[in-house]
Amino acid sequence: MISCTEFIPAYSELFKFLDEKGGPKAVRDFWNYLSDRFLGNLRSEVAEHGLRGCWVYWNHTLNEEAADFTMELDEEAGLFRIDMHHCPSMGRLLALEHVEPYPDYCLHCDVLYRRVLEPLGFACEVDLSRCREAKCRLTVTRRSDGPP
Amino acid sequence: MAKEVVRRTARDNRYLHKDFHGALSVGLEYVEHHFGEEAVRDYLRQFARAFYAPLTADLKRRGLVALEEHFAKLYEEEAGDVRITLSEEELRIEVEACPAVTHMRRRGYPVARLFRETTRTVNETICEGTPYAAELLAYDDETGRSIQRFRRRTP
Repeated sequence: MISCTEFIPAYSELFKFLDEKGGPKAVRDFWNYLSDRFLGNLRSEVAEHGLRGCWVYWNHTLNEEAADFTMELDEEAGLFRIDMHHCPSMGRLLALEHVEPYPDYCLHCDVLYRRVLEPLGFACEVDLSRCREAKCRLTVTRRSDGPP
Repeated sequence: MAKEVVRRTARDNRYLHKDFHGALSVGLEYVEHHFGEEAVRDYLRQFARAFYAPLTADLKRRGLVALEEHFAKLYEEEAGDVRITLSEEELRIEVEACPAVTHMRRRGYPVARLFRETTRTVNETICEGTPYAAELLAYDDETGRSIQRFRRRTP
């Protein structure tokens, strides 16, 4: 059995494996599939509760992942934001001396979450400019044509 | 409504996100559907050779006790109901219910048809190039109940 604490390197190696099979497109196709198949809980939370659904979803996952983060919800302003001060996933990968992370590892967050949130009427921006320091920022805003 | 802000550090929580088992399972399902059954084993071998290289080296150096320590820690972290028996000849791991499969069934995540390979192929790969061999003597796909054995290879 692969422990859930060993999942992140398994995930990164899966991206490498898919890239070897079919290039970056094969990796992106998998991310789309994973988003559709696995993020039903985020989708249903946001469909039912709007931006608060993001708060509920990430409050659960980031605490279980022992992340170092600040999370902010401003429903009046239509804003949800995560400032990741130290990503537990990328942080673990960078700490491993014998395994190199998949080069575009962090991009999966952008693809997976955007695919869920945009069809529900939200804009999703992920700033990955500091991802090699295990830092990033996710910002979700309510679009003018989105839900009230 | 007032703005809400929460700040957490890594020290505030224990790292144990069991939903990751579901994501891995979806990954295996995807690889099987798009690249075939053997590709699932190829991927797991590639992962295990890379990630468990230090464990394989430890197995060569210290013998089965290295695996005993690894699996004892793993199943303790995941609160698995397991009996681990080490003798001079073999290491036997009897898992009453796999913590990963139990979690996925409870949460309604799909369990990949080849999920057992995360035990069988991974264990065999950890033993590659060592004097030891891994066998999956029994495995129940519904619960992940299993009997795993590691023993010295016969010449």
